[in-house]
Amino acid sequence: MLDFTSTPIILTLMLGAVGVIIPVISAARKEKGGKLYGGIAFGALVAAIAFVGYQIMTKNVASGALFSKDVLSNDMFGSFFAIAMLIVGIMTTVGSFNYMRGRGNPAVYYSLIVLSTIGMVLVAYSTDLVMLFVAWELMSIPTYVLAGYDKKNPSSNEAAIKYFLFGALSSGIIIWGISIAYGLTGSTNIEQVISGFSHLSPGMLPLAILAVAMFIAGFGFKIGLVPFHMWLPDTYEGAPPPISALLAAGTKKAGFAAALRVIVMGAIALDLNWSFALAIIAIITMTFGNLAAIRQKNISRMLAYSSIGHAGYILIGLSIAPFSALGAAAALFHVLNHAVMKAAAFIAVAGIVATLSITNIDKLAGLAKRMPITSLGLVVSLLALAGVPPLNGFWSKLMLFGAAIDAGHVVSWAPYLAVAGVLNSALSLAYYGWLIRKMYFEEGESEKRVKEPRSIIAVMIFSIIFMVGVGVYPDPFIQFAKSAVPVLTSIPVIH
Amino acid sequence: MDFSFLGFNIGSLNVWAVWILPFVGALVIPAAARVSKAGPGYVAVAFALVSAISAATLLPLALNNHEIHSQIPWIPSVGLKAGVLADPLAVLMANIVGWISFLIFVYSLGYMKGDRDLMRFFFWMAFFVGSMQLIVLSDNFLQLFFGWEGVGLASYALIGFWYRDKKKDHVGTEGRTVLGLLDYYSPTQSGMKSFIMTKVGDIMMLSGMFLIFAFAGTFGFKELASNTSWATAMSAHNLLIPAAILLFGGAVGKSAQFPLNEWLLEAMTGPTSVSALIHAATMVKAGVFLVARLGPLFFALAAAGLDMNQFFEVVAWVGAITAFLLATQGMVHTEIKKVLAYSTGSQIGYMMLALGVAGLSRQFVDGYTAGFFHLISHAMFKASLFMAAGSLLHVVGSRFMTDMGGLRRLMPKTYIFMWAAGLGLMGAPFISTGFWSKDAIFGAVYQSGSSWALPLFIIAAITAVMTTFYTTRLIGMVFFGNKSKHIEHLEKEGYHVHEASPVMWIPYGILAALTIGVGILGLAFEHQIHDIFTAYLASDFGIKSSVGAVATQSQNLLGGFLEGVNPLALSISLSAFAVGFVLGYIFYIGRFADPAKVVNSNIFFYAIHKFFLNRWYLDALINWTFVVGPLYVARGIYRYFEDKVMEGFNLVPEKTMAGGARIMQATQTGISQSYLYIFGAGILIVLLLLFI
Repeated sequence: MLDFTSTPIILTLMLGAVGVIIPVISAARKEKGGKLYGGIAFGALVAAIAFVGYQIMTKNVASGALFSKDVLSNDMFGSFFAIAMLIVGIMTTVGSFNYMRGRGNPAVYYSLIVLSTIGMVLVAYSTDLVMLFVAWELMSIPTYVLAGYDKKNPSSNEAAIKYFLFGALSSGIIIWGISIAYGLTGSTNIEQVISGFSHLSPGMLPLAILAVAMFIAGFGFKIGLVPFHMWLPDTYEGAPPPISALLAAGTKKAGFAAALRVIVMGAIALDLNWSFALAIIAIITMTFGNLAAIRQKNISRMLAYSSIGHAGYILIGLSIAPFSALGAAAALFHVLNHAVMKAAAFIAVAGIVATLSITNIDKLAGLAKRMPITSLGLVVSLLALAGVPPLNGFWSKLMLFGAAIDAGHVVSWAPYLAVAGVLNSALSLAYYGWLIRKMYFEEGESEKRVKEPRSIIAVMIFSIIFMVGVGVYPDPFIQFAKSAVPVLTSIPVIH
Repeated sequence: MDFSFLGFNIGSLNVWAVWILPFVGALVIPAAARVSKAGPGYVAVAFALVSAISAATLLPLALNNHEIHSQIPWIPSVGLKAGVLADPLAVLMANIVGWISFLIFVYSLGYMKGDRDLMRFFFWMAFFVGSMQLIVLSDNFLQLFFGWEGVGLASYALIGFWYRDKKKDHVGTEGRTVLGLLDYYSPTQSGMKSFIMTKVGDIMMLSGMFLIFAFAGTFGFKELASNTSWATAMSAHNLLIPAAILLFGGAVGKSAQFPLNEWLLEAMTGPTSVSALIHAATMVKAGVFLVARLGPLFFALAAAGLDMNQFFEVVAWVGAITAFLLATQGMVHTEIKKVLAYSTGSQIGYMMLALGVAGLSRQFVDGYTAGFFHLISHAMFKASLFMAAGSLLHVVGSRFMTDMGGLRRLMPKTYIFMWAAGLGLMGAPFISTGFWSKDAIFGAVYQSGSSWALPLFIIAAITAVMTTFYTTRLIGMVFFGNKSKHIEHLEKEGYHVHEASPVMWIPYGILAALTIGVGILGLAFEHQIHDIFTAYLASDFGIKSSVGAVATQSQNLLGGFLEGVNPLALSISLSAFAVGFVLGYIFYIGRFADPAKVVNSNIFFYAIHKFFLNRWYLDALINWTFVVGPLYVARGIYRYFEDKVMEGFNLVPEKTMAGGARIMQATQTGISQSYLYIFGAGILIVLLLLFI
């Protein structure tokens, strides 16, 4: 039964309509200017976020993560991710205003951003594997196009083709996992699959494990888990910087939404030693990401590796979710924080590329004098990524590592995750600090101040306020994250 | 008019005015500097006068043993109140501070004339007076501490006032070293030295304050005196005496007592009016005042069965040691201000000694009166001596007494006033305040009945001999004998050595006259203070005084004129004066013998002279231990540990990380086929991990 007052359905209708209408308008309109389409997309996304906020305020959203017979559930878990995704969508849209100036097909560009955003939002709300897959593709296909949007630039093309290749591969793998699950349990509803998994005959167990492994690989591709990350630096580097923001801050987080719903639940049902496996992947991922970032010369590529490192931190929360009440909430909180921090960093890069055409870190020397506001935004986001108090990244990292130590009561290896996380954070300061030094303490060739694009300044100011504000007064957001956490013990199949 | 909305009685407004007005003056001074060059000086003098008059309006309170205690909310959330407490002790002290600062401000008009930074000078002077009166009138520790730090700051700013560090503004002899360290300080260096050394005491005081607060829950003096359960609780934890001694540490630092005495000598780099006001008459007395504030409080604890003898013994011994230590050095130095500075520390030692023995004796009020009386008389004659010395420096242009000599005909007024004030310091019998106050201290020590009475008394007596000697020496070296080469040189160049201007000599003339005038009525004055304090101690702390042995023993002497004077103490103090004066006269006034020859005639005299001249090596040792030594150690650590060991160790993580990063980077080939292989391998790895 379709409930038309449900949050995800209204969001789909709202944004879907806008996404389809934008290109139609452009066909009817003679003028070439892209501002109108950007404005429409921006308005629609702001309206969407306001709507989600309204639904939460009026308590039309079930708390925690709901499992229902429907394909979409109207719950806080989805709403939390929806807000994070929509923020990223808005930041990307506004950050693109400047990038799109003088480029072709603006209507399609903004339309694809809106459509991809719906996909991300729906992934978080899905309670059915097929629905999840459809949302996943809705999210992914527009981004394949967007990554190659700069069609005359070979590296943009390379980015798109690599991304598409691996996207297709992982989609296939996810479908494979879904088909195994369906074959074993006779359903694609996540709740049914989980409960079916928990009553499997022992002979069928290896197949179920294979399904979970497929899900890990398939979603892990988007998240950027090592060793499914290979495409990621090449793509983030080649894609237009605002699109890198969308990929790193948005689609990656949708992968976590899917992973939390499917992998964690499924693995709990199978009573596997899966959390240890995730813990190992977490440590490998963060160490790899941070080590590789140190030697990068290209700022987009450095941020790409940094986002691999952050995927490792978030995975800590996932792997200890069953042992500590804080784990999942911490992961969610860091998802939201990382979405804003990473989007801000990439949009700052977009601003730098658009005005000065610099991507090499060595050439950023003295940037603080040339682009003070952009530099400030970039520095604040880098410090937040490093987890320096009193910025938002500090609190979510603190929660993640605290949860890992807390989980030490149940599993002895959990505190080592915190140790690894702290060491990695220190390691990450090496390249964040290096970049900050370049911008602020080294003299560049020129000191002339350049005009910073207004749209970029707007994004920078918003993100500085968000990062500092949440850092100074994190409580409401922590409460929000806690209220959105799936209550793992309430799942019927867990004994 | 109803002022009750302000939260305090309008009748107490003059008490607040005493310390607030100088601060207002300090704020007005920068504005006045815009109007005219001489503006700051006149504004400062005006505000000092009004503040002093406000203090004078409080005098009837002291005479009738009344007090004003007025409070306003300060930080209501923790129940802190700001308040003023004008009890007899505070009123007397406020008057001394108020009137002497007024006179010194007037003197500064002449002394500082033509200085390029008059605004800065008078700002800090006014700021100082406000802070000092805040100390005096505070009704609680915390507020007192604000004033305490305020005077410290002003002292720092004024010691280093001539921050351009010209040669003439230094202290010490250029090139002279003690234990390999220069005994020659610039104004900026001296400012830092004094600030840091007094901070040591301040931190002790702060800890003592909060220790008491932790038990009593209040900083208020009245509250602490009225309910002494805090003391019993602290005593049970063995914390009472340590807390009291920590508080005394603050007094030791501020009053330049042993072992924190060395900063006062270098403080002489400041302008002379600063030395007179801050480093002779008032700020260095803040420590004595603190002990006078706390002494009765601690002594009254005896009623609660708590023995505070150890505290008073520490106070008495620190005082006696300082008095002796600094007097010995005062005898050998040749810089006029430095001699006076040694003398100041030494005399403050006397006051501490008196307050200490007060607590050890049955008759608390005797020692208490003696200490405070000496504070008053010292404030008068030492301020006068300093200002006169300032005139000498001003006229002669050298800080060394060896550059003066034979000035009695050239500067007759200064000569007379210096004799008058000098007699006070020497303790000339029956005519100077110094005689009576010192005699009162001797009497108090002698009669205290403490087991330490005899050694303390002997030290005090020897110090008195030395005091008379060095004062006679100072006057002799400056005014008698032949003109020095320096003066002859000046006169040859056509410079006329002349008397200082009236705006300068009138202030120190007044104080010199008071030294003698009050001295003649000395005993009556002492009795008046004695009566005030007897009533004050009885009503505020319940310390009863009986008519003790003092009165009965001396009733018959000179037909009752010397009532309250101990005959033995009197005779010792007379002989001390006689010995010191005769020795001084022989060497420096009559010049029958050359002191340099005597010193060089005998290895023993030579060694002692050098020992005193090198300040008992205390300054050099402190410098080595706390400044130079740590610097060497730090340099050694840097050179041999940080540079060699740590740097080597630092390479390990650096190289490891760089190597790791290179390996990670090598996997990123950019070739899609290899990416796909790795992806496939990844699935296998995940499966493997799940199956384990």
